[in-house]
Amino acid sequence: MYAPRKFKKAFMAQLLVSLRAAGQASKSMGLRERRDAVRLSSDVAMALASARAGEAPRSTAWARALVARHAAERRNEALMRRIMGGAGYEMAAAAARSRKEARSRRIVRRSRRVCSGAERKRRSSLTAASGRCSAMAAARRMVKARLQVLRSLVPGGEALRGLSLLSETLDYVVCLKTQVELMQCLCKGSRPKLG
Amino acid sequence: MSSRRSRASVSEEEINELISRLQTLLPSARRRGGSQASTTKLLKETCSYIKSLHREVDDLSDRLSDLMATMDHNSPGAEIIRSLLR
Repeated sequence: MYAPRKFKKAFMAQLLVSLRAAGQASKSMGLRERRDAVRLSSDVAMALASARAGEAPRSTAWARALVARHAAERRNEALMRRIMGGAGYEMAAAAARSRKEARSRRIVRRSRRVCSGAERKRRSSLTAASGRCSAMAAARRMVKARLQVLRSLVPGGEALRGLSLLSETLDYVVCLKTQVELMQCLCKGSRPKLG
Repeated sequence: MSSRRSRASVSEEEINELISRLQTLLPSARRRGGSQASTTKLLKETCSYIKSLHREVDDLSDRLSDLMATMDHNSPGAEIIRSLLR
């Protein structure tokens, strides 16, 4: 069961740790780099805390994918090692590599299908079956198109289908809302200092 | 054919539950007052909501990094904690 308070506490604690690491690393950074470091810190904090968001330890596809996405960029290595530790970073980097391979395999498979004409045959057989109800077919196509967009927005979404995509989306949106809430809290908390 | 339908209907219940939970999360949930939205509309709204949340996080990252730049470089975390505890 999802436990919001536990998640928020874990998230805020991890966020402060990550931001401190980012602050130290960003001494020599330019504006954009620093902004990216803060974004990375926040994303990784969110992903790490989500593992502690329930009564029992849990792992979500989006959290793994988000960390892997940041780990895939070499320039993030130093900061991520600081935040997650060497072992954590190694796992994330390995996940990033296997995701890259899986993505290439998917692309190759898809292009093979299209080239062999099998895709055309598959599509025509589907429309033949639903020819009686063309409105439903059109609606199904629209839903499919929307799901594709959703897949591109949820980390790791490209590998998810149907039920798991929806359940990951649900979890991801809840965590995103918390991310915004906590970061707003930090911004507000810091403002009086700048008087 | 019937066996396929019964297998599909079990996960269809789960899908409907997920969809209704998703609906309560979206900002329009308060306005709509519980009426059923079409799946397409729901997905469209979910996508634009996620995009707007991403933009907010980007903007907040900008502001946080500006704030951190004006603080003591050695321990921005400590500054933030201190200001939160004030």
